[in-house]
Amino acid sequence: MTEHAATGLKPPGVRGASWRFWLWVALLSAGLGIGLISILMVLLNGLGVTNLTDHLPWGLWITVDLSFIALGAGGFTLSAMVYIFGLKRYEAIARAAIWVGLIGYTSAMLALFVDIGRPDRFYHPMLYWNVHSVLWEITICVMLYSTVLIIELVPVVIESTRLNNSPFFVKLGHNLHRLMPVVAFVGLGLSLLHQSSLGATYGILTARPFWYSPSAPVLFILSAIAAGISAVLATTIVSGRLMRRQLVPKDIIASVARFAGFAVLAYLYLKIWSWAATNYYSHTPGQVSGQEILNQFTPYSYTFWLGEVVFGALVPAFLLLWNRTRRNPYAVVLAALMIIAGLVINRWNMTLSGFVIPLDWSPGVLDVFPVNTYFPSLVEWGVALGIVCYAGMVYTLGVRFLTLYPNAQPMDAPAAAEAPPEPEPDAGPPAPADQATVTTAV
Amino acid sequence: MDEQQNTTPAQAAETTPPPPAPQPPKKPDLKANTSILSRREFITLLIGAGATLVAAATLAEPLATMLGGLPGGADGHGSGNSAVQWAMVIDLSKCVGCKYCVYACQATNDTRTTGRWNIMITDQTAQGNTFYLTRPCLQCGNAPCVSVCPVGATYKRADGLVMMDYDKCIGCRYCQTACPYGARVFNWTDREALPNPMVPEWGTPEVPPRPRGVVEKCTFCVQRIDQGLANGLTPGVDPAATPACVNICPVTARFFGNIKNPNSTVARIVSTRPTLRLREDLGTEPNVYYIPPEGMI
Repeated sequence: MTEHAATGLKPPGVRGASWRFWLWVALLSAGLGIGLISILMVLLNGLGVTNLTDHLPWGLWITVDLSFIALGAGGFTLSAMVYIFGLKRYEAIARAAIWVGLIGYTSAMLALFVDIGRPDRFYHPMLYWNVHSVLWEITICVMLYSTVLIIELVPVVIESTRLNNSPFFVKLGHNLHRLMPVVAFVGLGLSLLHQSSLGATYGILTARPFWYSPSAPVLFILSAIAAGISAVLATTIVSGRLMRRQLVPKDIIASVARFAGFAVLAYLYLKIWSWAATNYYSHTPGQVSGQEILNQFTPYSYTFWLGEVVFGALVPAFLLLWNRTRRNPYAVVLAALMIIAGLVINRWNMTLSGFVIPLDWSPGVLDVFPVNTYFPSLVEWGVALGIVCYAGMVYTLGVRFLTLYPNAQPMDAPAAAEAPPEPEPDAGPPAPADQATVTTAV
Repeated sequence: MDEQQNTTPAQAAETTPPPPAPQPPKKPDLKANTSILSRREFITLLIGAGATLVAAATLAEPLATMLGGLPGGADGHGSGNSAVQWAMVIDLSKCVGCKYCVYACQATNDTRTTGRWNIMITDQTAQGNTFYLTRPCLQCGNAPCVSVCPVGATYKRADGLVMMDYDKCIGCRYCQTACPYGARVFNWTDREALPNPMVPEWGTPEVPPRPRGVVEKCTFCVQRIDQGLANGLTPGVDPAATPACVNICPVTARFFGNIKNPNSTVARIVSTRPTLRLREDLGTEPNVYYIPPEGMI
């Protein structure tokens, strides 16, 4: 019995799942259906079904793509901690992070596949290289890193399925596991490259003063680390509550949460200085008129200060770095969701601000170029919904069928893997004992 | 430190075992859990980073040559040592805003009305004089669209023309995002069954229409230039080898030619008259020069 407790609980599968689980799956399936129909409409009719224009050629899907890539950043961060820096205890959450990472990356690639005008040529970046293009580098890195994530997950899949009965696969999984430090190192390099290059995609464009900035790549990677870890924390805590399991020991959750807090603080620090240099202290015509346009036509200022800075970084940093709130799972989930929301708002603002402000290339003095406006079409929303539901579905299935949480415990059994320094049982409500035992029995 | 502590108790084990025992358990345990990098790991990392740097430094130059340097070229014209650089001069003091060049381009290059390669805007000088500004692709010397394209579907020819390979383009639209002049047009939908409204009054299509899902752009009527040169004609002088927008201009406000040939019309105008280029501050080095409207310079 003790041995079983040490290796954690088996994933529950779907047999005997509650009606709430099936309702959740039904909702996700409905969203997936809507998404599939929308994607079909795009593939049949082309991008004319979007509200994008030649003056504003990127919109909701690019926001979805950038957000999912960032939310997948927990994978490289935590596997680097475990396999490169040797912090083995984080293995309790690293697998889930890698799973969330793969979901993020596949979702992003799905969004990009729909977003390019010629999806039938999706493989062209592999054949035709423009090594000067940050977008080429991103494409290649994203594909290679997805491969890394799959390699990292193979041992998990073998361990969780019937493949574990075959000596060959057991050996394969074992050997792959021994390779993990190398794989994690490659993954770290690839991630650092393309996560920051995504910011460079905007940061290198001199023609758009609102984008042109050397801090964009660093801001992107810092926010991705914070939001990627937040995504792992939020999914882990919430699904643990729903399944009445302590999927990851509380002290691990707390220290990962603290790491996310420092990451979001670093992001905030650079963000404020970047704003000061390019905006507050800058009186270049492009910046000033751009800010005026954004203030007049969009809620940019409110969403920047409230969505990105205060509730997207400052408050969650406080919640994650203050000892008392960090020990409360509800506060951690709240902070994680705020960081995620702040990130999505940031990616939307980043994409749209550069396009809403029109290019001005005339030597004349009139405002001849109209401000560009955009609201996604129904089909665009449909595709986005489908991708989000895909992500939710794959995560749900992963939690149900794979041993993503090797240290999972019944929620009412704090003994075995729990770390000793736990002075007082914290604010988390004691789970009803009878329910927990029922789930354990299943 | 650790080694010393380990050896002393081993030697003294026989005589006095208890005293050194209580100390060790605290320190190492804490360290093992909290330190992110041990000293050995840190040194290994340093050595690794150093080796990477050395490798990168030695490989940098051969790699750079292999990759052909940065796009655009350092001379600002991107055509390197080529003796040809196609350029256009547009005289804003002459232009009357008739849009004939816009229509001729739409017919000749078979563009859509919503996706014209050559457009006109009406603007004013600081003194309040209205002027008409037409804008083809400026065929930049340092073309931002070329360096951002992930698949190299847009590229620069030796004669300075920024071209599109419609068979390579994946339709990501990053080039549209990067172009400071909004000169690029995306094919959002399938081509309408409707005929081109500018045909045949303003010309006949000389290039096939582009498929849905790719970005397209002005080529300075490259089909005319290439065919004209093959037939021994001089672009900018012989109409058959000259862009349609230049030929049709009723007030002769557009000139075309090889700016590297000092005897060409464009080279003479640029060397004798004050000209401006759009957004020179960006360093894109456009190859379309404008003679300013009255009262601007």
